[in-house]
Amino acid sequence: MNEYIGIAVMLVLAAGLTATMVALGSTLGKKNSTRVKLEPFECGKEPFSLPIGKLSIKFYLTAILFILFDVEVVFLYPWAVVYRTLGILGLVEMGVFLGILMVGYVYAWDIGALDWE
Amino acid sequence: MIGATLSDLGLLVPELILVGMASMLVLAARRIQRAPVAVVGTVLAALAATLVAGWDLSGGARTGFGGMITLDGYSQFFKVLIGVTLALAALLSVRSVDRDQVPRAEYHVLLLLASTGMMLAVSALDLLVVYLGLELMTICSYILVGIRVERPTSNEAATKYFLLSSFASALLLYGISLTYGVTGTTDFSAIALALSEQDTGSNPLLLAAIGLVAAGLAFKVSAVPFHAWVPDAYQGASAPVAAFLAAGSKAAGLAVLGRVCVVAFGSEAHVLSVFLAGLAALSIVVGSFIALSQTDMKRLLAYSSITHVGYALLGLMAGTSEGVSATMTYAFFYVFMTIGTFGVIIALGERGEHLNGYQGLASQRPGTAMLMLIFLLSLTGIPPTAGFVAKFVVIMSAVREGFVVLAVLAVACSVVTAFIYMRVAVLMYMKEPQETAPSRFPVAVSAALAVAALVTVIGGISPGILAPWAVSP
Repeated sequence: MNEYIGIAVMLVLAAGLTATMVALGSTLGKKNSTRVKLEPFECGKEPFSLPIGKLSIKFYLTAILFILFDVEVVFLYPWAVVYRTLGILGLVEMGVFLGILMVGYVYAWDIGALDWE
Repeated sequence: MIGATLSDLGLLVPELILVGMASMLVLAARRIQRAPVAVVGTVLAALAATLVAGWDLSGGARTGFGGMITLDGYSQFFKVLIGVTLALAALLSVRSVDRDQVPRAEYHVLLLLASTGMMLAVSALDLLVVYLGLELMTICSYILVGIRVERPTSNEAATKYFLLSSFASALLLYGISLTYGVTGTTDFSAIALALSEQDTGSNPLLLAAIGLVAAGLAFKVSAVPFHAWVPDAYQGASAPVAAFLAAGSKAAGLAVLGRVCVVAFGSEAHVLSVFLAGLAALSIVVGSFIALSQTDMKRLLAYSSITHVGYALLGLMAGTSEGVSATMTYAFFYVFMTIGTFGVIIALGERGEHLNGYQGLASQRPGTAMLMLIFLLSLTGIPPTAGFVAKFVVIMSAVREGFVVLAVLAVACSVVTAFIYMRVAVLMYMKEPQETAPSRFPVAVSAALAVAALVTVIGGISPGILAPWAVSP
């Protein structure tokens, strides 16, 4: 337990020093409150505004579909590395995996999720 | 892939049937929205999966996929139960899918995939496969609960269910990771071996691991204090979805809990029994007392299902194989009486969702009132219905293991639940009808009700009927 006492002392000192500085700054410091000064961020940027205007929900759908096939590729890499040791069973299992993913792809295509208009 | 062979796929034939049917429905989704193909396909796939799962129950246990999946009597028992639940839920959804304009193919695909997840979870011999199976089940359930997109209550229910359930999944995963930290494995038998070799008497890490795994699973079966999502989710979901969740997901959760308690943490039974006894006592008391004040039938049944989970947990407390078979019997009969009760609610339509809708039902539809009475008697636990047999075996197992106080509490709360269920019966038989008689039920709904009633009655008349199959792992 003794080796941790140093860390505890250090924590107390750091917290105390920080608290003291903040307290001194807020009590002794000169206040010059204008409207601009009271804004959350004094960096010239408008703090409250709509993010970037409207975003089409189609991007969201495309992103979801992208993640689906991105994950598929992630699984393909390790499979390709040990392809020879896995043999025919590995091929069949990867076929089943890709088949199930393709079902989802065909469904998305079929119901028109990929049509932009 | 440790020694996996193509023959391992033979262990998963029921799951493969369900996934195959789901894939076909997905591919044809756009073309079969108006036709009853989806219902017929789902019911056929469910029955085929049930038959395959129940095939050759006398055969010895087999394992595959590197010891992660097993085919033993225990998993077969629950796979049959889940297959039947799926078929009944699909039959019961016929009218609500029409009325709510739910996309037919997608709805049935979700039912099929949720059942696949349940079947995987009950046949898993590894904590991670358990997690995968349960997640497949719950992710499909979120969408099923919120599938009536134009109803705000449905969306709210799905959101609540999703948020709370993700939290519970995180608890379960944390428990799994701590178990791995203590034992160095996630395989059930290897965990048991590691625990028997090391002195785990006062390992706080193991205590936390068991507690977190139990809490995560208790959420899936909705035992108090992990029950908060149930009433809202059931009320917001359509009645068939609520029936499917109340029956299927709880049966799967209990099955997993049973296997984890007996096989993986069997040597820590003294710790688990404290957790499970607390969960059981709280569920029985809180569930039955809150149900007293409910007037919405789906909410009432939600609290009633919480109570029933409490009773089912009585069997798992001691971690003995007799107790687990008692819980298996309970889960089996509970599924049929719950689906039956929900079936009557579904058959009556909008009228069935409110308690006052049952006023004078006996004079308008004596047959339906009779069926409802059978299910209510069974839920209460009055002979000669299956509910009595189920309650009898779990309470007996609690007494045998020395939990006499808990057994007395369970019997006392049975009286409270009798008041809840008999209130509906009194409304049906002793009040004048306020509303017009309900229209004729679809054939599919009647068929599902008949099956549920038959099992409820037969189970009550011949109590030992399940004994050869309700064998703990």
